[in-house]
Amino acid sequence: MALKKLRDMLDKKEISAVELTEQYLDKIEKADKSINSYITVCAEGALEDAKKAQEKIDAGSANAFTGIPISVKDNICTMNVKTTCASKMLEDFVPPYDATVMEKLKKSNIVMLGKTNMDEFAMGGSSQTSYFGGVKNPYDLSRVTGGSSGGAAASVAGGLCAAALGSDTGGSVRQPASFCGVTGLKPTYGAVSRWGLIAFASSLDQIGVIAKSAEDTGYLLNGIYGYDANDATSSKKSEGGYTSLIGSDISGIKIGVPKEFFGDGLNDEVKQAVLSAAEYYKKLGCELVEVSLPSLEYAVSAYYLISSAEAASNLSRFDGIKYGTRSGLGDDYNDLIKNSRREGFGNEVKRRIMLGNYALCSGYYDAYYKNATRIRTQIRSEYKEIFEKCSLLLTPTAPTTAYKIGEQENDPVKMYLADIYTVTVNIAGLPAISTTCGYDKNGMPIGMSLIGKPFDEKTVISVCDRFERDFDKREAAL
Amino acid sequence: MRYQPVIGLEIHAELLTDSKVFCTCQNEFGGSENTRVCPRCSGLPGTLPLLNQGAVRLAAKAGFATDCVVHNYSAFDRKNYFYPDLPKAYQITQFEHPICTDGHITVTGGKDIRINRIHIEEDAGKLVHDDYEGISMADYNRCGVPLIEIVTEPDFRSVEEVQDFVEQIALRLKYAGVCDARMEQGSMRVDVNISIMPVGSTEFGTRAELKNLNSLKAIGRAIEYEINRQAEILDNGGTVVQETRRYNDNHGDTKALRSKEEAHDYRYFPEPDIPPVLLSDADMAEIKASMPEMPQTRFARYTKEYGLPEEDSRLIISNKEFSDFYDEAVKVNPDYKQISNIMLVELMRHLNESEKAVSDLLFSPADLAELVKMSTDSVVSRNAAKDILKIMFDSGKKPMDIAKENGFIMDNDASGMDDIVSKVLSENADSMESYRNGNEKVFGFLMGQVVRAAGKGANPKLIKDLLTEKLK
Repeated sequence: MALKKLRDMLDKKEISAVELTEQYLDKIEKADKSINSYITVCAEGALEDAKKAQEKIDAGSANAFTGIPISVKDNICTMNVKTTCASKMLEDFVPPYDATVMEKLKKSNIVMLGKTNMDEFAMGGSSQTSYFGGVKNPYDLSRVTGGSSGGAAASVAGGLCAAALGSDTGGSVRQPASFCGVTGLKPTYGAVSRWGLIAFASSLDQIGVIAKSAEDTGYLLNGIYGYDANDATSSKKSEGGYTSLIGSDISGIKIGVPKEFFGDGLNDEVKQAVLSAAEYYKKLGCELVEVSLPSLEYAVSAYYLISSAEAASNLSRFDGIKYGTRSGLGDDYNDLIKNSRREGFGNEVKRRIMLGNYALCSGYYDAYYKNATRIRTQIRSEYKEIFEKCSLLLTPTAPTTAYKIGEQENDPVKMYLADIYTVTVNIAGLPAISTTCGYDKNGMPIGMSLIGKPFDEKTVISVCDRFERDFDKREAAL
Repeated sequence: MRYQPVIGLEIHAELLTDSKVFCTCQNEFGGSENTRVCPRCSGLPGTLPLLNQGAVRLAAKAGFATDCVVHNYSAFDRKNYFYPDLPKAYQITQFEHPICTDGHITVTGGKDIRINRIHIEEDAGKLVHDDYEGISMADYNRCGVPLIEIVTEPDFRSVEEVQDFVEQIALRLKYAGVCDARMEQGSMRVDVNISIMPVGSTEFGTRAELKNLNSLKAIGRAIEYEINRQAEILDNGGTVVQETRRYNDNHGDTKALRSKEEAHDYRYFPEPDIPPVLLSDADMAEIKASMPEMPQTRFARYTKEYGLPEEDSRLIISNKEFSDFYDEAVKVNPDYKQISNIMLVELMRHLNESEKAVSDLLFSPADLAELVKMSTDSVVSRNAAKDILKIMFDSGKKPMDIAKENGFIMDNDASGMDDIVSKVLSENADSMESYRNGNEKVFGFLMGQVVRAAGKGANPKLIKDLLTEKLK
C-alpha cells in the first residue's frame, strides 16, 4: 500500500499504528523464515514505537512518518539495536548512537520493524555473502535478491515493511530493487547524511530508499535528506519537496539513451523491456536523444579499484581491539589483530581488502588507484556533457534478471562485471532510480533506471512515477 | 677521517585548540585514562571526522611565523597502519597538499634553514604496558589531539644550529599562540635525521632517524653520540644502515628501533570524508593580522631602537608574557634601560623565588613604569624603589601609596638635612676626628647614622654632599 494511503488510514483512525505494526510483524513471523530478509526483528521495540506514534496521532500532532513501519539495512547504526553489517566481525555490535537518518525519522515516531540482511559490509550483488545466511527472492525463493541491500528489497517486495532504508555504493539499492520488482532510489552524493552509515567506500556510499513506488521513495526521502554538520561531505544544495513534480506534464522532456548501455552482455529480454519503456516515454511526448558515455568500458575497473581501496582503509578499524570479534588466538597484538580479522571477515570482504591494499601500495598506486581517479574525473565530465543534451538518462539497471542461488556468486569477476550499469552513477555522484519495466520468461522482474542531474531527484521521481502509473505490476506471490 | 654531519628535523607540535582536531572532545594534557574519548575519536563504525577550523587557523599561523607560503588549498590524506593505539588504523594527515610550504628561519651565523612543509595531522593514543600482569592497555585521550608537523630541509651542519633553530621555533610557536612548546611534556617533539659525510664532500651519507629527544640538551647529546657512532662505522670500513633509533637519556646513547626494511608502506590516499581545506585571501589576511609581533622582530626593536644589549633583549623576549609586560611599561615610561634593568634583576628574582608567572602579578605595567619614574625623578631612592617593588609584588598596592605609607619619599630639604648632619657629627666627634686623620671607612658609618636619624625618605645624595662638605 502506498505510504500516502497508509498515512491517510492512520490519520482517519481506520487502523491504529499498533495494529498496522502487528500486521507487519505477523507477516515477518510467517514469511521471513523462508526469505531471511531480516537479521534482527525488533518486535518489542516496534510495538513500543507504534504506541508512542499512536499517542501522537491521537494528539493530532502526527506528521508524514508517524506510525509508518519501515525496515532498516543492517549497516545503518541504530542506537541500542545490533548493527552487524551481516558480518561475524560485528555480530554483537550495538551502536551507542543513531545514524542521522534514524534520528530524523525517530523524531517523527516512525516504527522500526528491524534490521535487514545484506551482503557482508555491503560488498556484493547477491546478498548471499551474509554471515547470517543468504536472502531469497520473494518472486522465486530459489533465486537471489540481488544486493547488497537484498534484505531491504525483499522486505518491501514480500510486504514485510511499508518501505526500507538501504545503501548504495555501486548499485546496492537499485540492483536488488530491480531483481525484487520494487523501486529503489539512490540520491545524489551528499543529499543524505552518511553519519552512522558504516562505511564501505566513503566517496561512493549513499543511503537510499527502497519502496513500492517512485512516489514512496520520494515520500521517504523527504524525511531523511539534508545537510548535516556531522558529515562534512553532506550538501546544503538539497531542497526537499521530492514528490512535488509528480503528476506534472512530462512531455518535451529530453531523455538520453546512452548507446554503450545497450551493447554486448545485456540480456535480450532486459534490452527489449527497457527499449519498450523508451518507446512509452516517446509516446507521451518525451524526446529520446542518443547519447554516449565512452568511458563506460573502464567504469567497473575504476569502481573496484576506488571502492576497494577505500574499503581496505575503512575496514582496518575492525581489529578486535576495541569492539567486535576478538580472536582467542595469538600471543601479541599483531597476532590478535591478524587472527581477529581472519576469523571475523568472510571471503568476499577479504578479497576486496587485498585488492584495495594492492591498489594503494607504493609502486602500484599510480597504475591503479591514481588511474582509477583519472577515469572518475573523465566519467564525471562525460556525464556533464551528456546533461547538456538531456535531462535524464534511461538505462537497464542490471544486465540480467535475478539468477538462481549458487549460479554465479562464486565467480567474482562475473559478479563484478554485472555492476556495469549502476557504478557510473556512484562514480559521478548522481541520483538514479530503478523501477520494474517488465518480466522475463520466468516471471522475474526486469529493472530499468533513470539517472538524473545532481540534486534533481524531483525530475527522476516524477518521470519514473509516470511510467509506473501505466505499468501493469505483478506482486510477488507469497 | 674528519666528518661533517648533515641534519634535518621533523618537529611535531601540539596545537593549543580547545577541542580535538576531528571531534569535540577537550584537548588537554594529563587526566585519567580514556576520559576524553567519544565515538568519533575512538573510531567507532559509522562515525565521520569533523574538522576543527581552529586547528587550520593555528597551522596557518605557524606558517606565517616561519615565513612559509600558506596555501589557499590544502587537503587531508589517510596514512594506513595497524597499531592498537590508533583506533581507526589510519592517521588523518596532509600528505600531497600540506597547508604550508617553503619557509625558513635564520640561525646563528646568519644561515637560513629551509622549512620544506608544515602539515596538520592527528595524534595517536598511548599504550600502557603492565609487565607484571603481562598485558597492554590503550589510553585514547591523546587520539585526535591536533598536531602540526614541521619538516626542514637537511640544512643543519652543527649541533648549535639545530639547538638555535629549535629554540627559535619553540619561541615563535609560543608567541603565535600555536603551541606551548613544552618538550619535556611532549607538546613539542623533535625527531632528528642525521647522516655524516667526509668534510669537503657534497654527497650525503645514509641517515638515521633519532627519536625520544625531550630537551635541547638531549638533542645535543644524541647528535654528538650519533656522529661518533656513524664515524666509527665508516672508519672501520662499514656502512651505516638506514634506520630509526631511540635515544636513551640515562645512557646518552641511541639504540636501533626498526630498519628501513621493517618500515611500513603507509598506502596514503586522499581522505574521502573531509573536503579540501580552502582559505580565501580574506581569511589569510585576517589570520595574518591577528598575528602578534614575532620574537625576532621584537629582538630587532629592543637592540636597535631601544639600545638594549643583545643578551638583555634575548632574556626579555624569551618569555612572551614578560616581554609583553615590558612593552606595556615602556609605553607609559620610555625609559627602556631602567625598566629593563629593574625587570631583569629585581622582578625576575621575585618571580623565580615565588615560582610565579607574569600573569600572576598583582600590579600593572603602568605601576612599574611609575615606580621607575619615581626613582629617576629622585622622588624615592634607588634602594627604596627596590623595597617598594617587593611590596608591590606582595600586595599589588600602588608605588606612590607604598612610598607615602612607609616614608620612602625622599626629603630633599637641604636646610633641614643640614641640621641633622650637624647634630650627628656633634654626637660622633671621635668618628669625625678619625675620618679627618685619614680613616675614610668611617664615612660609611656616618652616612648610616644620618640616614637613621633622617628616616627612610632621606636623600642619600644630599646627605653625601653635606657630609663631604662638613668633614673637609
